[in-house]
Amino acid sequence: MINSIFGQAGFGPVGAQQMAALLTLVFFVVSGYPALAEPEQTTEADGLSPVEEYARQVDQFTKNAPDLGKKIEDSTKSIDGLTDVAKAREEIERIRAVIGDLLGQVTDNGVVAQLGAKARSHARQKLQALERETRFKPEERQLLIDQWRELLRQTEAAADDLETARSEFAGLLRTLQTREDFIDELMQLRRAAEAIKVIRQLTGEIRDASQKLKSLIGGIKPPGV
Amino acid sequence: MRACVASLAGACVVALLGAACSNDAGYVEIRTVPASTGSAPSLYLDSVKLEAPRKGTVVLRQQVGTTKLQSDSGGGQLAVLCDIVVKKNRVTTVTVSVLDRPPRCQCQTSVTADARSPRTCIG
Repeated sequence: MINSIFGQAGFGPVGAQQMAALLTLVFFVVSGYPALAEPEQTTEADGLSPVEEYARQVDQFTKNAPDLGKKIEDSTKSIDGLTDVAKAREEIERIRAVIGDLLGQVTDNGVVAQLGAKARSHARQKLQALERETRFKPEERQLLIDQWRELLRQTEAAADDLETARSEFAGLLRTLQTREDFIDELMQLRRAAEAIKVIRQLTGEIRDASQKLKSLIGGIKPPGV
Repeated sequence: MRACVASLAGACVVALLGAACSNDAGYVEIRTVPASTGSAPSLYLDSVKLEAPRKGTVVLRQQVGTTKLQSDSGGGQLAVLCDIVVKKNRVTTVTVSVLDRPPRCQCQTSVTADARSPRTCIG
């Protein structure tokens, strides 16, 4: 079919075959590429309950974040030694990419947040089911209820902490881009000295924010730990 | 002629592959005011319905480009509140006043558009 279409369009048989192969490749690349706004699917086939899966993701995030924090610190250090605005801007862009990476991990349409919502819903359903449970002795039932209540509390606390982190990352990203825009405006006016001054102030702000984020992320506890 | 068609097709394929492989993303921060309004209409980013924000703010990762913030104007009809331009590793902040009917977008940075076309927020 594709051969006949391209054959009619004036491609030779070889050209048509190449085009068909190319279109097949395009189809696989396009269809295999996930839409960013769509929540990623998680499998329950691995046997993990939503709360455990959420705890694992939160744990992974808190473990990976310090590496990215170090990248921010390294870039900030190198900006301090620069007097070339263009190079400093490149470093700021690099920091923006790192902050963006961190923010991307905790956005509301990201895997961690989606799992958090699923985990909370699962814990609430378990609690409701246990309230109606008649198979167990009252003290046994109470034990299970208490455990699930605690798990729900921890899950909600982790979600709140991640929400604070998300807001801080977004705030830092906003500061970086606004300062960068201001530096651009200064450079359009050929005010390089003022631009350098703004860059120096910015590195101070980045350091403060980075420290704050470090302690914030260090305080996030995955549920059930 | 044949060479022209072939190069045009090639260019299309390259552009399509480029778009598909692009991993460039930016962020959209949507703040609803007041933060807790039970009767607030649902918001949509293009056709994706947004979960009601827990504390009045949602931050979403979006592919670079222009996206439409819409609200449910009743009867399943979506009304465009504003266009949001998403840039790589930048955050575009939009405040939505949900008490207004229809809800209104307030951009932190906006571009002046035709009075008839929706407001455009940029990051």
